[in-house]
Amino acid sequence: MNRRLLHIILPLATAVLFLVGWHTAVKMSGSDIFPTPYEVLRGLGELARQGLLLKYIVASLFRVSWGFGLAVIVGVPLGLVLGWFRPAYAALNPFIQILRPISPIAWIPVAILWFGVKDTAPVFLIFLASVFPITVSAMAAVQNMQQVYLRAAQNFGLSGFPLFRRVIFPAALPQVITGIRIALGVAWLVVVAAEMIAVNSGLGYLIIDARNAGKRYDLVVAGMVMIGLIGLVLDLLVRRLEKFDEVRWGYGQR
Amino acid sequence: MKFGRTILIVISLWIAVITVLHGALNLRWFDKKAEVGTTKTFGVGFLPVTCHLTCPVTHFINKEMEGRDMFQPMRFSGWPELKEMFIGRSKDMPASFILAPMAIALREQGVKIKIVHLGHRDGSAVVVHKDSGIFQTADLRGKTIAVPGRYANQRLIIFRELKKVGMNFDDVKIVEMPPPDMPAALQSRAVDAITSGEPFMGQAELDGYGRTLWQAKDVWPGFISCVLAVHEDAIRDHRAEIQRLVNGIAASGKWIDQSMAHRMDAAQFVAANYYNQNPRLLSYVLAKPPDRVTYSRLKPLRAEFEEIERLGKEAGILQGTAHFEDYVDDTFAPDPMVVQAPHFEVKK
Amino acid sequence: MDNADMEKTITVRDCWMSFPGKQSGSEIHVLERVSLDVAKGEFVCIVGPSGCGKSTLLNIVGGFLKETRGEVLVEGAPVDGPDPGRIFVFQENGVFPWLTVEQNIGFGLLSRPVAEREERVKHYIAMVGLAGFEKSYPRELSGGMRQRVEIARALAADARVLYMDEPFGALDFLTRLKMRADLIRIWQAEKKTILFVTHDIEEAVQLADRVLVMTKRPATIAEEVRITVPRPRDLDSPDYLAARDRIFAIMGMDAHGGGAV
Repeated sequence: MNRRLLHIILPLATAVLFLVGWHTAVKMSGSDIFPTPYEVLRGLGELARQGLLLKYIVASLFRVSWGFGLAVIVGVPLGLVLGWFRPAYAALNPFIQILRPISPIAWIPVAILWFGVKDTAPVFLIFLASVFPITVSAMAAVQNMQQVYLRAAQNFGLSGFPLFRRVIFPAALPQVITGIRIALGVAWLVVVAAEMIAVNSGLGYLIIDARNAGKRYDLVVAGMVMIGLIGLVLDLLVRRLEKFDEVRWGYGQR
Repeated sequence: MKFGRTILIVISLWIAVITVLHGALNLRWFDKKAEVGTTKTFGVGFLPVTCHLTCPVTHFINKEMEGRDMFQPMRFSGWPELKEMFIGRSKDMPASFILAPMAIALREQGVKIKIVHLGHRDGSAVVVHKDSGIFQTADLRGKTIAVPGRYANQRLIIFRELKKVGMNFDDVKIVEMPPPDMPAALQSRAVDAITSGEPFMGQAELDGYGRTLWQAKDVWPGFISCVLAVHEDAIRDHRAEIQRLVNGIAASGKWIDQSMAHRMDAAQFVAANYYNQNPRLLSYVLAKPPDRVTYSRLKPLRAEFEEIERLGKEAGILQGTAHFEDYVDDTFAPDPMVVQAPHFEVKK
Repeated sequence: MDNADMEKTITVRDCWMSFPGKQSGSEIHVLERVSLDVAKGEFVCIVGPSGCGKSTLLNIVGGFLKETRGEVLVEGAPVDGPDPGRIFVFQENGVFPWLTVEQNIGFGLLSRPVAEREERVKHYIAMVGLAGFEKSYPRELSGGMRQRVEIARALAADARVLYMDEPFGALDFLTRLKMRADLIRIWQAEKKTILFVTHDIEEAVQLADRVLVMTKRPATIAEEVRITVPRPRDLDSPDYLAARDRIFAIMGMDAHGGGAV
């Protein structure tokens, strides 16, 4: 069998196996609370017909796009500067390392107090969840940069901002992109927690709302499935960044 | 650098597209029919439970009768978020439905709020698994009971009943749990008994695995779980508006209790437009029995709050440093005998 | 100064490089009392066993390290950091992997007018035999081609002096031979001053006008060997073999049998 076909068939086989296992397990347990795959699919169909599915996906993507986008705009330059200037690193790194392990869930009360329950609060939470991985990876990228590039650049008389723009930034870029990819995963991961705040749309809200709605665990699982699938698509999209000639050198042979 | 430019263009486009889509689908930017928000609206916090039913009913009746309502119900999924919004963002949400002991506790802690009205009476129950062998309060000894939160009045009603049979909190295990998770927890026997406001108790009954140990109305007649509380700032600066809100709540409570037809109508429009729950469930808890939860006689009474205060102190959740006149302003609440239900019927 | 008949490009006088040792007060000398001269347009090789400090010496002359003691003059002035007129060619290859071949070669020319830059890039791409690979990225090239990109980059920037730190160390034997021939051809055409560090004695004798032999203990230049074999060099000529064996002997090796003296 040719390899490309195998790469399509194998994951599909795993998925089928998983769904069959899921269905059988639900049936055997006799539970009428946990839904079967078919009930989840029906729940998704119901949401799609009401137009809610699209609305919720758009709302979650909107919040992740803004929160994550802001995190990139803040995190990448901050990380590069911290990686380059030792005093800045000394001043700010401990602070960042303290903030970094605090779960976004712990920030929920703060987010509500500062931003209320409009879109700003979840955007803030997603920003917080993704800005630290991005900053730290950009910082490490500069610190781990091969010295020979720096020396070559200095040899050509580069310093200050041109050195940053023409050598330090491109040399760090592959690792920065890897950090961005990981951070996007984290950002999407916290969408449920971020939407626990009383916003009234989004896939995270769908899960929380379905819990309120009585025995609608089909919708809970439907929300989980959609979050998983969109997460997969996002990861595939960011992986495309690694294919650009300007950064491909940084990922070794694949 | 073609890399940089491509990425920049793609990302800008994406942000623009997703923002416009979100604006169109969820924020109704382009909806011409949407109310033009010229006049300021007051947020009123609520949870999708029957204890807060008068909140959406008032909003619905006002909107249907006058085309708009100056109060904007703000739905929350859990007590902590509602409380944080209420105490932290009093400009956006000056009023909220809230657990009575929680309101008293917040007052004790220096949050300048006043209870101006009750939200309901009764409408709570203790439900056990049908196979649990718990048939009376004394059988709860050593069992795990889920309550909605530290400051839930359901916690106090458990305490009150345990006392009657000579037990206290040391004889049972109390766990805190968001009410929406309770039916599933009971079904899986993760807990032995659950107690919260409706419709979650009714749901456990309706789904067949729950059996009501007792209804609040049978052991503590006139039981109050939730009240309407308002920031003192708003009372000072917007007296007329608060009065309107309280009148609306009192009147719509009267309307709900006026007939079974009204209850069924309320179940329908609240389930569809506010709670996003199965209308059958709301209909069930509003009808079986019809006095499971009631919405008349909602003026705050000193004796009742003093009992909550006393129980709260005994149960260790209240300090006893705030008294009726500190946390209640009953000048807004109309005399229940003279409250008139609005002449309103749902258009079929 | 002595030897006034030739214009000096590089002068090192009594240069020391020391680091504090593990015991307090003790010092480890990486370089001791090193002195050397390189005339303008001269091709000088430094050979020595690994760890003798030859790379350190080149980095000091190149401005990437600061000597502990002594005097280092290049083109008449004390060295204070790297200089665009004197380009270092690195052993680990300093070609920027995010730029194409022509962008790399044009890297030192960004302040020049576009037309001139393009013309120079084209000229040096042809000189190092990389025509047709202008748009390629370094990861698509072989090791020898990458090394030629780096040399072309240095030449295109109009460097007067090239410092080369074992630039062919990572290449296979045949490529190395070809690169040596290319380098000599380019050097003859461009009249650059080249200071070249290697541990390969044959390489040094094939390339240099003069070979400076370094020893490990003391870490200094032990001797200077002038190579008078006419170019292109016949690797079987008696002069070549004599020069090679002399260096082997200085480094304590027997060219024909090996082993310590």
